[in-house]
Amino acid sequence: MQGPLSDRRARMAKVLSIDKSTEEGLKELLKFLLENGKVKGVVALRKMGEYGAISYSLITSPDDVESTVPLFPLMPVNLAKQLSSLTLLEAATEPIAVVMRPCELRAFIELVKRTQGSLENILFISSTCGGVYPLKMAVEGTIGEHLSEYWKAVGQGELVSNSRLACQACEYFVPYTADITVSLLSNKGINKVTTLFLNTEKGENIVEGISGKFSEGDLDIATIEQIRSKRKTEKEKLSDETELKNLGIDEITKTFSRCIGCRNCSKVCPACYCHVCFFETETSQHGAVYYERELQKAGCVSMLSDTIFYHLVRLFHVSTSCTACGQCADVCPADIPLWAISLKMGESVQQTFDYLPGKDIEEGLPITTFLPEEFAGVV
Amino acid sequence: MANNRRGALLPAESSVQKGIINFTKQALKQGAFDAVLIPSRVPAGDSYTYFLIRNEAVLEETSPLPPIMPVQGARVISSITRRGKGKNRIAVITRPCEARATIELAKLEQVDLENITIITMDCPGVMPLSDYFEDQGKGDNVFEDASQNWNSQHMRLVCQICDKFSSVGGEDLHIGTMGIKGDSILLIPRSPKGEDILNKMGLSLEEDISAWEAGVNKLIEERKKKRNESNEGLRSDIKGIDRLLQAFSTCINCHNCMRVCPICYCRQCHFDSDKMKFSFDDYVTRAEARDGLRIPTDMLLFHIGRMLHMSLSCVSCGMCEDACPMAIPVSQIFTLIGDKNQEAFDYVPGRNIDEPLPLTTFEEEEFLEVEQSYAGASFRQEGQNG
Repeated sequence: MQGPLSDRRARMAKVLSIDKSTEEGLKELLKFLLENGKVKGVVALRKMGEYGAISYSLITSPDDVESTVPLFPLMPVNLAKQLSSLTLLEAATEPIAVVMRPCELRAFIELVKRTQGSLENILFISSTCGGVYPLKMAVEGTIGEHLSEYWKAVGQGELVSNSRLACQACEYFVPYTADITVSLLSNKGINKVTTLFLNTEKGENIVEGISGKFSEGDLDIATIEQIRSKRKTEKEKLSDETELKNLGIDEITKTFSRCIGCRNCSKVCPACYCHVCFFETETSQHGAVYYERELQKAGCVSMLSDTIFYHLVRLFHVSTSCTACGQCADVCPADIPLWAISLKMGESVQQTFDYLPGKDIEEGLPITTFLPEEFAGVV
Repeated sequence: MANNRRGALLPAESSVQKGIINFTKQALKQGAFDAVLIPSRVPAGDSYTYFLIRNEAVLEETSPLPPIMPVQGARVISSITRRGKGKNRIAVITRPCEARATIELAKLEQVDLENITIITMDCPGVMPLSDYFEDQGKGDNVFEDASQNWNSQHMRLVCQICDKFSSVGGEDLHIGTMGIKGDSILLIPRSPKGEDILNKMGLSLEEDISAWEAGVNKLIEERKKKRNESNEGLRSDIKGIDRLLQAFSTCINCHNCMRVCPICYCRQCHFDSDKMKFSFDDYVTRAEARDGLRIPTDMLLFHIGRMLHMSLSCVSCGMCEDACPMAIPVSQIFTLIGDKNQEAFDYVPGRNIDEPLPLTTFEEEEFLEVEQSYAGASFRQEGQNG
C-alpha cells in the first residue's frame, strides 16, 4: 500500500504560524472564523459545564470557543458518525468548521461515499495525531494527570504510553483530506507556536485576515516516516501479544467466546452505518422452532450461538472501510481486543484491493467497482 | 412471602451447584420437563451463557450458579418464546431477578410462560463482568467466598443492596440454599407446576422451611436497610436536573444500557428511530438557542425516556451498569427511581404474574391525585424543545 505522504500533491503548502501554544492558537483560529462570519458553527471537543466531562459540541458563538478543548486526547464518540447525523437529511446549509482526528476524517469520507453524509460547506481541520487515551481512563478520571506527559511525547514524536492500543499501532496519523492540518507530532515548538498547514484553497482563503505569519512549507517526510516505522513495530508487537496471528476458526471461537451479544461494537462503529442491523431484524430472530430443531439434533444448544456469526459478518461488512479507530474495543463490556481483529482484517482486505479507506473521495468503494483483470482472480 | 410452609430436602453431594444439577437431572429423567435452560461455561472456558439441554450427560457439565451474568436470562427466554411457545416443556434455572424480569416480559407479551417452568435459587449476587474477565481464576474464588458469606463487596453494587435475592413468589419452584446444613438443597414449590415436579420425582414435602426462611428474612432486613441508605445517598447526588445531568455527563449515547436491559423490549427504540434524525438547520437552531449543542444530542432525554418506560418493571439486575463503557451508575440510579415508582403503585415487578402492570389499570381514587396536582400547576406558554 502507498505511504501516507507519497501521493500528497507536489507543491508546497501554505503555512500559517500563530505565536501561541498550539491549543490556544487553534482556538484563536476557531474564534476568528466565528467572529468574522466565515463559518456559522464549529464542531469540536468541549469541556461540558462545570463537571469537566469531555464531549463533542456544536457551537455558534465565538464566546463559547474558550470552553472547547479541540486537541484533548479523548474520542468519546467517533465524530464521523455524528457528522453523518448532522448532514444525513440535508447537507450543511451554512459553512461549519470541524476539528477531527485523521481516522475520524477518513471514516467520514467513507460514509459520504456510502451517501450517509455530505462534505458540502464543511471546513475540515485535522492534525498529525498522537492518538487518544482509552475511554477507561476518562472513567477513572486520570487523563488530566497524563496530559503533560502526552504533549511531551507528541512533541517528540514518541509513542504515547497508555494510549489506545489502536492508536499505538496506527500508521495513518497524517490526515489526507483536511483543509487545514495542525502540526503536532514531532513538533518541538508545540507549546510556543501554532503551525497550521493550509492544504487546500478553501483552507487558504478562509484564514484570510487572521493575524499570524504566512510562509511555505510541508511536513517533514523523513520525520513522519520515522514515526510511522515506530508505530509499525509497535503494531507487530501488539499483534503478537493479542495472539491473533492466524485467526483460524479455533482462534476466532476463542476470541469471541466471551462476547455477550450486546453489539455495542457495531453501535459505535462509524463504518457500521446500517440503520437496522441484519442481526436485529426479524429474519435473524430464531424462536422456539429453530431452537427445538437444534436441540433435537445435538441434545444441547447454546443461546449465544450467533455471536461469532455476527462478528464475522460485521468484519466482512466493515473491512473495506474500517479506519482502525479502536472505538469498538473501548466500548466492549467483555474487553475483547476488537481493535486488533478489525485492524488485521481491514488491512488484509484493503491491501487486496489496494484501497485505503477515506484517502480520496473520488476513489470508488472496492466492492462497488470492478476491473476486468479482477475477473481472472475470481475464476 | 411464602405461601407454602414446607419443602423437600434433596442431598447436594459436594456443593450447591452439584445439588441443583442432580435435581435437574432427576427431574428430567422423571419427565417433569423435556429440556432445561441452564447456564454453563462456554467451550473456551472463559465465560458463561445459557444452554438449552435435554441430554443428561451434558447437564453434568453445567454451572447453574455462574459468577457472572453475561446475558439476562429473561432475554434468553424471550428469544425462545416471543413468537409463541414451543413443543417442549422447558425448565429454566435462573436467578431471582432474571425470573422476575421474565414475568414482567410475560405481562408485556414478550414471553410465553405456558411451557416454561421457572426455577430460582438463593442468589449470592454476580461479579461485574470486567472484574471477572480481568482474572477468571481469582473471580471464581471470589464468587465461591460470596456464596458462603452472602455479603461480598465484590459483587455488582446493586447485588450488594438486593433485597429480592431469594424467593419472590412468581417462580414455580425455589431452591433454598442459604444456611441449609448437611450438604442439601431445599426444594420449595411455589405453583402447581412446581408441585408437579416434586410429585413426579416422588418427593414429599416433609421439611419445615421456617429455619431457612428466618435466615433469609434476616438478610432481607439487612439488605433493605442498606438499600435505603444507598438510595438516600444517591438521591442527594442526582437531585435536580443539574445534578442528574452531571451524573450522566460522560454518557456517549451508545444506548448499550437499553440493549442489555431485559425490560427494554421495543424492537425499535424511539431514540434510535428516524424520529431522532434532524435536519442540519435543526441542529444549528438548537445550538444557537443555548450555549452550544452537545453532540450526540438528546442524551438526558434518552435516559429519562427509558426511565419512564421501564422503571415500574425494573428488577435492578445491574446489566445496564455492567454494559456501560463509561461506568455510569445507571443501575443504581434506576434502582432509586424504580423503588420509588414501584412503591407508589405498591407494585413489585415479577412478584405475581396475575398482578397487572400498574399503568394498564386504573383505580378510581387515583384520579383525585392526578386532578389535584394539575389544579395547582401553572403552565409555561412557550414550549422549548430539548
